[in-house]
Amino acid sequence: MSGHAPVLSSVRAEPQEPAPPAAVAPSGPRARSRWWTVLWNCVSLAVALVVWQIGAAEYHSPYLPGPAAIYEAFIDLARHGDVLGNSLWSHIWASVYRLLVGFGLGVVFGVPLGLLMGLYNSVYRNVRAVIEPFRFIPPIAWIPLAIILFTGLTRYAFLIFLGAFFPVFTATLIGVARVEPIHRKVALVYGATKAYVLARIVVPTVLPDILGGMRVGLGTAWMTIVAAELTGGTPIGLGRMMVNYSELLRIPEVVVSMVLIGLIGFVLNEILLLLEKYLFRWRWQVTL
Amino acid sequence: MMATLPRPRDAAAREVKVDVDIAHSFGALCVHDGLQFAVRENEFLCLCGPSGCGKTTLLDILAGLLKPTRGRVLVHGEPVDPKRHNISFVFQEPSTLPWLTVRNNVAVGLRIKKRPEAEVRRVVDDILGVVNLRGYEDYYPHQISGGMKQRVAIARAFATDADVILMDEPFVSLDQPTRERMQAEVLSIWERKKGTIIFVTHNLEEAVFLGDRTIVLSAKPARILADVPITLPRPRNTLSPEFMRLRTQFASLLNSALPSRSGR
Ligand SMILES: Nc1ncnc2c1ncn2[C@@H]1O[C@H](COP(=O)(O)OP(=O)(O)OP(=O)(O)O)[C@@H](O)[C@H]1O
Ligand SMILES: [Mg+2]
Repeated sequence: MSGHAPVLSSVRAEPQEPAPPAAVAPSGPRARSRWWTVLWNCVSLAVALVVWQIGAAEYHSPYLPGPAAIYEAFIDLARHGDVLGNSLWSHIWASVYRLLVGFGLGVVFGVPLGLLMGLYNSVYRNVRAVIEPFRFIPPIAWIPLAIILFTGLTRYAFLIFLGAFFPVFTATLIGVARVEPIHRKVALVYGATKAYVLARIVVPTVLPDILGGMRVGLGTAWMTIVAAELTGGTPIGLGRMMVNYSELLRIPEVVVSMVLIGLIGFVLNEILLLLEKYLFRWRWQVTL
Repeated sequence: MMATLPRPRDAAAREVKVDVDIAHSFGALCVHDGLQFAVRENEFLCLCGPSGCGKTTLLDILAGLLKPTRGRVLVHGEPVDPKRHNISFVFQEPSTLPWLTVRNNVAVGLRIKKRPEAEVRRVVDDILGVVNLRGYEDYYPHQISGGMKQRVAIARAFATDADVILMDEPFVSLDQPTRERMQAEVLSIWERKKGTIIFVTHNLEEAVFLGDRTIVLSAKPARILADVPITLPRPRNTLSPEFMRLRTQFASLLNSALPSRSGR
């Protein structure tokens, strides 16, 4: 075994490790593969549309419109509005606005309550029987009650809130249990306050779960809003527009509404995903 | 000018920094059954003992992270409190915060203690050089190796000018040359900045090389088997006969500390 003394005397002279490449920006191969992903998605989308168009042309039925007919209907709606004179944008905005209000409320209540009940687990254990059954009532099952109790924005905000709250709340609650005791200790040993531990240790640990819960909640909320609009009580909203056209048996406009609902949900989800990617650069990406 | 002369670094003359008198059990499991010792100002104390005898538990208690079931820990005569005392801890487990970059991980203690940002920057840059991590400032823990993470944890502990530094087998995940380098660095930082270090290790050579004093603990419930001052002059030569003699002495103590199999 070598002695310590020579090492001690040469410590300062020891060469430093060669400098590593600065920071780890997603450049080179990773950035290139991202473009390939975009390209492949465009290709698969194009293939799907072509197959649909061919199928529609084959049947040639007014009940099975192809993408071309849908596109025409969309352009017409975008230019001239619907049969009642409401513009397409007012329908879209009405639905998105309701979503943002209800979803925002779901997050504003779900996150702090989840944190609180996660940190003070005894509170949660003692009120479980009150909270948990609500989780299993689907938001659409609340529609009849909401129709009776509320009108206008309140009704929709309430229903969307129900759709968004539980996924966010549950994800936060479960996330808190994942905080590693050693990370708490790191902060506490330097004299951190409870507030510091909450803001700098608990929240960063739970944030990925919160964002995950938000994406689930967003899906549920968006489905709920369309269902709620279908039941009436409002002249505008994507769901309403769809029902109006289905009563006129105008399939292309119905499908336009469906496609818009799908696309908007997709875009909102992608926005949250981008936010996740940006916020959680520190996370090791699991791949199989 | 007699008054301005530095005080001699004589162990007996220094005042008591950490005063320990505790007992601790986890439920029915008695880990410490009355443990009593004192650590002096600027002393480098090494703790050895068989695995599972309660060394980590003891450090947690010393840091004020765990309340002993009985007794107290005094730092400078006051009950230990991380908010009041300046304590650092290099944990045995990996303890980097995965959501912070290397730089921000090292800065955690300084930020909690609300040091000015300019000072944080200067200190962190400095200490990253010492642990040989320059250039990795913006890496996240998942992008560096296990030994590098441990060096981040060591850097974090030395970034705050702690009065009491607790180190729980800090070098086990490092290769021999890096380990020796880190030992030398810890010694040189300690000799420069002073501070009381309590250092847990399984490696007897490490204990004899680093410590002013070594406490050997028995298997649990842990008792103090030996409390030996190490007066070899520094820098110590691991090949000198006195070094070998101490090392052998500790080895036989530690062997006797292991619970005998036939005894069960
Ligand atoms: N939180 C806990 N709850 C119950 N028992 C515990 C807890 N932490 C530690 N123990 C027990 O206390 C004993 C001492 O554990 P400790 O981690 O202090 O050992 P150690 O001396 O650090 O061992 P090693 O050298 O292997 O790290 C062990 O028997 C362990 O099972
Ligand atoms: Mg241990």
